[in-house]
Amino acid sequence: MAQIVTPHSESSAAEVILLSRIGAGDRAAFRELYVLYSAPLFSLAVRLVHDRSAAEELLQDAFVKIWRHAIAYDARKSRPFTWAVTIVRRTCIDYLRMHRTAPTLIPFAAEAASSSALATSEISRRFADANETSHQVQDALAEISPDQRQALELALYSELTHAEIARQLKQPVGTIKTWIRRGLLDLRTTLAKP
Amino acid sequence: MNSQLEELACFYVLDQLDPRDRAAFEAQLLCEPELAALVHELEGTLARNIRALPRSEPPVNLLARIESRLGDIAATDSLPPARLHSFPWTSFVRWGVAAVITLSLATLAVQSLRRPSVQPLVVLVSLDPQHSTLTELPFPNANKDPDARFVQLASLAEQLWENPAKLPAKSRASERDNRGYALFDPASRQGFIAIEQLPAIASGQRYHLWIVDTSSGLIRDAGILPLSGATRGMYSFALAATAGPTEPGRQNFFITVEEGPALPADQPRGNVVLGARRI
Repeated sequence: MAQIVTPHSESSAAEVILLSRIGAGDRAAFRELYVLYSAPLFSLAVRLVHDRSAAEELLQDAFVKIWRHAIAYDARKSRPFTWAVTIVRRTCIDYLRMHRTAPTLIPFAAEAASSSALATSEISRRFADANETSHQVQDALAEISPDQRQALELALYSELTHAEIARQLKQPVGTIKTWIRRGLLDLRTTLAKP
Repeated sequence: MNSQLEELACFYVLDQLDPRDRAAFEAQLLCEPELAALVHELEGTLARNIRALPRSEPPVNLLARIESRLGDIAATDSLPPARLHSFPWTSFVRWGVAAVITLSLATLAVQSLRRPSVQPLVVLVSLDPQHSTLTELPFPNANKDPDARFVQLASLAEQLWENPAKLPAKSRASERDNRGYALFDPASRQGFIAIEQLPAIASGQRYHLWIVDTSSGLIRDAGILPLSGATRGMYSFALAATAGPTEPGRQNFFITVEEGPALPADQPRGNVVLGARRI
């Protein structure tokens, strides 16, 4: 029986090796990975906690976890970047749940209640400084339905559980799960177009 | 693929499965090529989404702050463990010396009876539209642990990828032809395949990698190449333990374009687009 042929782009294969070296205690490899990942992971942390100072502390915690757990990384289960994203998201979500004292701000909530065009313009504003990749993502996000986009944004960039997202959007949990699934699958399809 | 499995794949990538479901999904992921291909694509979508966020740069001194914490961790980890019981060192040393002498004599005796050790080898197959050219390469310092060996193999594959001049078997293909090479470790049954170019395929078609035991002619399904428009890339693959034994110097690889449902296949049916069925 066959197993999957796992793609390794040039960068991804190099990152697998970097993680392996970090697992063996190689500090130079850790610095290389930091250079590669710190900006996108910091951007993610800022987006999740909406507080630059807290994001700095959380990014520190996350990189310490990367250092400690690199030895357990399994290339067959995820790409190196996804593995690091999971560590950052879990670190930020733990922080948000510990410090949750007020109703959570929901990104893009207004857009979902309004027209698709308005939602798209808000996304355009947020991605104003983006590079080519982000323009492609922006265009792809504009193509998926506002409901799917909002559910996906909440799943990706908030600490809310599916049940909490369902309460927030006043929809059954099953509908929320479907929106997230369809949103991600549609985004994949749109981004794959030449 | 059914929508329930698609949903699990999405929530796996988004890290929204509980630990039990996550473990069950990972077990399924390791043996279902189509599922792994979907997860890989979804990971790519997630990564692009995150990299498209408004860019925030961390402060320049953050790395130094992290590294100072890593120093603390190393210092903490290097502390000796608490000693709970006294240990009879004198008797341990006496019996320990006797054990070492016995073991050394036994090792010498066994080594004198064994054939000279065989150096570990990896198989490199250069691929072009009409040919497969096989070469054996030494695999120095090959680790016995499959995971460590995978990383060693990845390192070798990366060196060859970055510096094709180091490839011992030159492809006979021109710059415009389909071409690539496969690197395979028969001991750990893992390998990498590097693709420089493949012909475009229609919707519903897929590239399929096959491995041939050249001595028996047995063809094994090595998996689906989850290419979607990209024509250049490096991929890892692994043969399941149930696929039978593998020996160095007997592997050939080729890629076909297949149609129909993407189930594990027993035999290639489509046209060969890279490599050849025979060396």
